[in-house]
Amino acid sequence: MKRLRSIIPALIPLLVVTAAAELAVRYGSVKSYLVPAPSSVLRAMIESRAELFGALLTTSVSALVGFLLSTVAGIAIAVFLSSSRAIQRAFYPYAVFFQTVPIIAIAPLLVIWFGYGTRTVVASAFVVSIFPVIANTLSGILSTEPALRDLFRLYGASTLVTLFKLRFPAALPQILTGLRVASGLAVIGAIVGEFIGGQGLGSVVDVARTQQRVDKVFAAVLLASVLGLALFGLINLVSNVTLRRWHASEQ
Amino acid sequence: MHRRTFLRIAPAIALLANCGKSPGKIRLALNWKPDPQFGGFYAAPYQAHGLDVEILPGGAGTPTIQMVGAGSAEFGVVSADELVVARSQGNDVVALFAVFQNNPQGIMVHASRKLASLADLFKVPGTVALQRGLPYARLLEKKYGFEKVKIVPSPGGDISAFLADKNFAQQCFIMSEPLTAKHQGADVQVFPVSDAGYNPYTTVLTTSGEFLRNDPDHAKAIAAAVREGWRAYLDDPKPTNQRMKQLNPSMAPAVFAEVAEAQTPFIETDETRRNGLGSMTKERWEALIAQLKDLGDLKTAPAPEDCYRAL
Repeated sequence: MKRLRSIIPALIPLLVVTAAAELAVRYGSVKSYLVPAPSSVLRAMIESRAELFGALLTTSVSALVGFLLSTVAGIAIAVFLSSSRAIQRAFYPYAVFFQTVPIIAIAPLLVIWFGYGTRTVVASAFVVSIFPVIANTLSGILSTEPALRDLFRLYGASTLVTLFKLRFPAALPQILTGLRVASGLAVIGAIVGEFIGGQGLGSVVDVARTQQRVDKVFAAVLLASVLGLALFGLINLVSNVTLRRWHASEQ
Repeated sequence: MHRRTFLRIAPAIALLANCGKSPGKIRLALNWKPDPQFGGFYAAPYQAHGLDVEILPGGAGTPTIQMVGAGSAEFGVVSADELVVARSQGNDVVALFAVFQNNPQGIMVHASRKLASLADLFKVPGTVALQRGLPYARLLEKKYGFEKVKIVPSPGGDISAFLADKNFAQQCFIMSEPLTAKHQGADVQVFPVSDAGYNPYTTVLTTSGEFLRNDPDHAKAIAAAVREGWRAYLDDPKPTNQRMKQLNPSMAPAVFAEVAEAQTPFIETDETRRNGLGSMTKERWEALIAQLKDLGDLKTAPAPEDCYRAL
């Protein structure tokens, strides 16, 4: 019951906007080939459900694989960067590079490197989502409380022990923030990859746009957002389980 | 009442539609960057017809036909099949002048594959880059089947994948990508899509039904200016190419002249010698509508005589 009540504030804007859009289209203030009526989006979703949900599944797999790769690689890179000032100076600028890569511009190259299909899509999701993982993990690891660090040193803890028992757990809230940002980016990256590499929701959007089917474009976009939300929810769950006992953000 | 309510909650939409517009100015939205396929539009003597025209270049995915329907451009350049689909969805747009009388779209392949026809292409394994949403892509699928080949998204005008793979074929404008590929040393062969029986007018000057009703004189003036512009461009494309080159430096100067020459037979045909440049016939529109209906692209089939207007 409490759960339900916490959802209500989020539902109100949804209902208001949906109803307004429906009325605006129905009474001719907005042309249906510019903004589709929510009812026609729903109809498109039902009519093309097999195609749309098949595409959603394909996109989900690619986005998830890309996201997991950037989680693993991003955290590993951040740990490596945190090992010394010199290493950080030498390599961090290259990590920043990933943030500024205009994925749309290099996507055709991805196709040439990885071929058409899943590998290109995963690569695209990976490239756009790795930077927030690196940046947040690094900043988390580097901001370990000095007093605790000294304590570990006093007891003669090794670098590895300090990393796993102190720095890493202390950085967890920030790592999770990085992952939240990365999850949305991975979905965007996957869809951009699909524009170029074919398949999935990206391909559905591309085809529907060419056919001037605005309703179907919106239906596909809606499913992409659902995917983003699901990933976000998953990370919140992980965050809740891991931080509940000790961190203010989850209490 | 409803209209007023809506305007209060969403004035941004109305603002967007009219942004940047000065009074009396007429906007002509292209569906691609300035290049020879729009030569006549750049050569047209608008001022001599009392018109102040601003040409808005487009790019991949520019929704030109929606812009014309929504009034964010008074005129636009689209293809006839887009126009029929748009009309079937309630977007009241009307064709005024058809630059390309024959469909300049084709599929380019490497000549080394020794394919004899479009049908052959789909009989042997290989990759075909094709925008699947296009009506002709589905027509090809219906006619030849895509089971043997791998269909991948079209890379737009980019030909690097084509150059890298001998078994790669891609959709193209007959007088555009194949020329670029030849310049890069590829031995190219082109199969026109019209071989498969799909031949809509393309690069069609279009306006909204509303504009045509409210301001028929300006519509007439622009059609006349465009017709003169194309005549001038066909006779001597040099000065206009010079201007377009500055607007679109991404196209090599030599290619402008080559394309202008290669496209001429698509624009000037026996038909246009009899009836004038840009002219259209009811039969052609009828045939196109029937084809699109057959492909399942139309909710409701528009009447052919509503699709175009001879001015």
